[in-house]
Amino acid sequence: MLQRVHMPSDLGEAAGLLANDPTAALLAGGTLLMPAVNNEVTPIQSLVSTKRLGLEGIAVEGDRARIGAATRLADVGADPRLAFLHPVIEAIASPPIRNLATVGGNLFAWQPYGDLAVALLALDATVMVAGQQGQREAPVAEIVASGVAAREIVTGVEFAVPTEGSWFFTKAMRRKLNSAAIVTVAAVITVESDAVASARVALGGVGRRPLRAPSVEAALLGKPLDAATVAAAAEHAIDDAEPFSDAYASAWYRARVLPVHIRRAILGE
Amino acid sequence: MASTIVQLTVNGQDAEFLAKPGTTLLMALRENLGLTAAKRGCAQGTCGTCDVIVDGRVVPSCLIPVETIVGAAVETLEGLADGNALSPLQAAFVEGFATQCGFCTPGMLMSATALLAENPAPTRGDVVRAISGNVCRCTGYEAIVDAILDGAARARAASTAAAD
Amino acid sequence: MPMRLATIDADYFADERDADLQVVGTPAPRADARGHVMGQTQYFEDVHYPGMTHLKMHRSTRHHALIRGVDTAPALEVPGVLRVLTWRDVPNNWYTILRLIGVEPDDEPVLAEDRVLYMGEPICAVVAETEAAAREGASRIRVDYEELPAVFDVEEALRPETIVVNPRHGHNYFTYEGHNCRRIRFGDIEKGFAEADQIFEFTYQSSPIEHAPLETTGCIVKPEADGRLKIHSDTQACYFTLDNTALTLGIPFNRLRVIGGTVGGGFGGKVDVMVEPIACIAAQLTNRPVKYVYSRAEEMQVSSPRAAERIIIKDGVTNDGRILARKITLYVDAGAYSRHSPYGTTKAAAHMPGPYTIPNVWVDAYCVYTNRTPSSAMRGFGVTIADFALESQMDRVAKALGIDPLVMRLQNAYRDGDMKAHRKLVEGAALIEVMQRAAELVEHELPAAYRAMSSTDGRGA
Repeated sequence: MLQRVHMPSDLGEAAGLLANDPTAALLAGGTLLMPAVNNEVTPIQSLVSTKRLGLEGIAVEGDRARIGAATRLADVGADPRLAFLHPVIEAIASPPIRNLATVGGNLFAWQPYGDLAVALLALDATVMVAGQQGQREAPVAEIVASGVAAREIVTGVEFAVPTEGSWFFTKAMRRKLNSAAIVTVAAVITVESDAVASARVALGGVGRRPLRAPSVEAALLGKPLDAATVAAAAEHAIDDAEPFSDAYASAWYRARVLPVHIRRAILGE
Repeated sequence: MASTIVQLTVNGQDAEFLAKPGTTLLMALRENLGLTAAKRGCAQGTCGTCDVIVDGRVVPSCLIPVETIVGAAVETLEGLADGNALSPLQAAFVEGFATQCGFCTPGMLMSATALLAENPAPTRGDVVRAISGNVCRCTGYEAIVDAILDGAARARAASTAAAD
Repeated sequence: MPMRLATIDADYFADERDADLQVVGTPAPRADARGHVMGQTQYFEDVHYPGMTHLKMHRSTRHHALIRGVDTAPALEVPGVLRVLTWRDVPNNWYTILRLIGVEPDDEPVLAEDRVLYMGEPICAVVAETEAAAREGASRIRVDYEELPAVFDVEEALRPETIVVNPRHGHNYFTYEGHNCRRIRFGDIEKGFAEADQIFEFTYQSSPIEHAPLETTGCIVKPEADGRLKIHSDTQACYFTLDNTALTLGIPFNRLRVIGGTVGGGFGGKVDVMVEPIACIAAQLTNRPVKYVYSRAEEMQVSSPRAAERIIIKDGVTNDGRILARKITLYVDAGAYSRHSPYGTTKAAAHMPGPYTIPNVWVDAYCVYTNRTPSSAMRGFGVTIADFALESQMDRVAKALGIDPLVMRLQNAYRDGDMKAHRKLVEGAALIEVMQRAAELVEHELPAAYRAMSSTDGRGA
């Protein structure tokens, strides 16, 4: 049962509160944590709010973008400098949830949620983490795979804004709005001299965490980015995925439509 | 288990009360302040019946420990009408038969109010997106979307008339 | 095309005053809309009493098991927990909702005694100062189970070797006047099949459907100074609640006062009496107001859904589309307890063979007990799934015969004067006219003979 809510005003204080209390949990937007606090018996006895840690804000310099971990999804969705991410944000939940949910929190959403994390994986973002030993940086792939240590706090993400025409995203849902992923596809693909020069393809909804699709990436490299190449590459995606069944879709269905949505994402079909 | 003194501005009025740890904004409104328009439908942020506006943004009040928003300005459905005079949106809901069981209505109206504050002339698509987090289980969505568009038109007409 | 405007038989209303009816065709504002849009409509949970306590249930974690022991002591150690209720605290623990209209036997306990028949069945109620304490207390109760085989399929449940789910019935079906199913026998089914050109048999199946009302099931009970209990409830059936609760408590009806009628979505899901009796007992024993509200997860797991049904339809037809015989075997999955399913099954049987005049009809409709969540009422229960099956059957048979499905329906449609399978004379039929109009609206070409048909042409039997 909840005993207290802390409102620390700096990272050190917050880390200390987490370190000294094994029943403490970090509270950002609360969209994942509060349902459990409200409805379930949890070991959580205290909440440590990120509200006063100064982790909100978006900075874009040149092609580098930096987003504070406590930045609301709605703010990302409203920032004209991050227009390429707007379809990603619009595909996540509903306006009231996006007004609470944070960029940092989305990294820890369990699949088939966490579409921004899928996008950040395709962007090969760097995650800034504060711990008692100070700041560290880690690739987003590492964070979505193994999380952070118990006393660490994600403070922000940083990535290169993709060049015009190199960003691809689609999310297949049971409904057009406010639903979890059947399949989410995010990719950064660059083309030089009519051939794919680099490709990062990330998938959501088809594994217990956001996944890169190296088989698809390899099948794209060096080839013209046309329908035949993409269709052939998309067929490899199942090698990288571990589809599961849930209330939204069966594992069979996810596997079946995965190549379709990779084609739709990249070819805009 | 120490309680916290919480101060909020609710529908333009100062409100101060003692909240037990982890009291959600929803429970504070309903139990500490007696404002029961916001409903508990799921207590997990998925149904929209508890939506209120906090510092200008529509949010599910069930997901917010009230100690974390001390000093905030909160708007609830109780603050929408001017005495007995319904707001344009409320009038459009009544006349457009956009209510049935009524349980989603408070959240629908707060989502719609937040939308019109930002976008006084929304398209049908804008309205659908704005209420995508508000479940109506009597499935009256068409009438609700129509009523929000109608309420927006009424509000625009009223502000034009006021400007004249 | 001539439209049939059914003439109103004024004889029905001969004794009634001139009503000066004017509502149809004009918008009539909803009486409750203003309260809804102002947030002033009072739902049961909008009532707040000082000293309110909260009730949470410890539920079965097994589909089917004997209870060897229950340890409630750990719950009482949780700060704020006031009381743990078991079946021993319930004056009349056994009931069935429709006992009010003579349905027997009482087959369901308010709280489980020596066994649980479905996952989520209530075993102990924990009353505490706060919701969190009640939830924590409920989670700490320990139940020692001896697991039994569980049955989830209606046909498996009816096999003689299958374990009996509900001992109060002694077998896995509800007994209708000595029969193992609700039966309809009309004409001579075997003769009908013998005369048919072709036989078609198909099986239809549905899953349980949850109503998912936005407001979950719940109530607040307040002990009054005069000794009465005031019940604020979101029940759709105030008098079911009042009478059943009084019977369970073993007190006169006038000791209870039910305040209801404002329901945040029901759809049939709030006609069982699940929360009020135990909340009343908790209020009596603590002499405090008690709130008992399902969480969303409870609403999804244990509030009774629309029953899953399996329907097998065998038709004997002529090559030109006339149905001579229809044999239907229908299974309603009641889950572990009766609730409203014996009634729903009767309704399903009475709905057969659909709105068609068929000379030979045979129906066996079984109300079957399994270890699934008890099912109950939901919008047209017994009829909705039956219609899905019947109309799918009509389409499939028409397609197989190469006949326009609408023509086949018109050929077999019931008309005024026909005798239905359950021996009710058809009157006021308008099926033919509705289909004619629907065809016209979708520009579906019908042969002249079918455009000229009428429900009142006297060609019915």
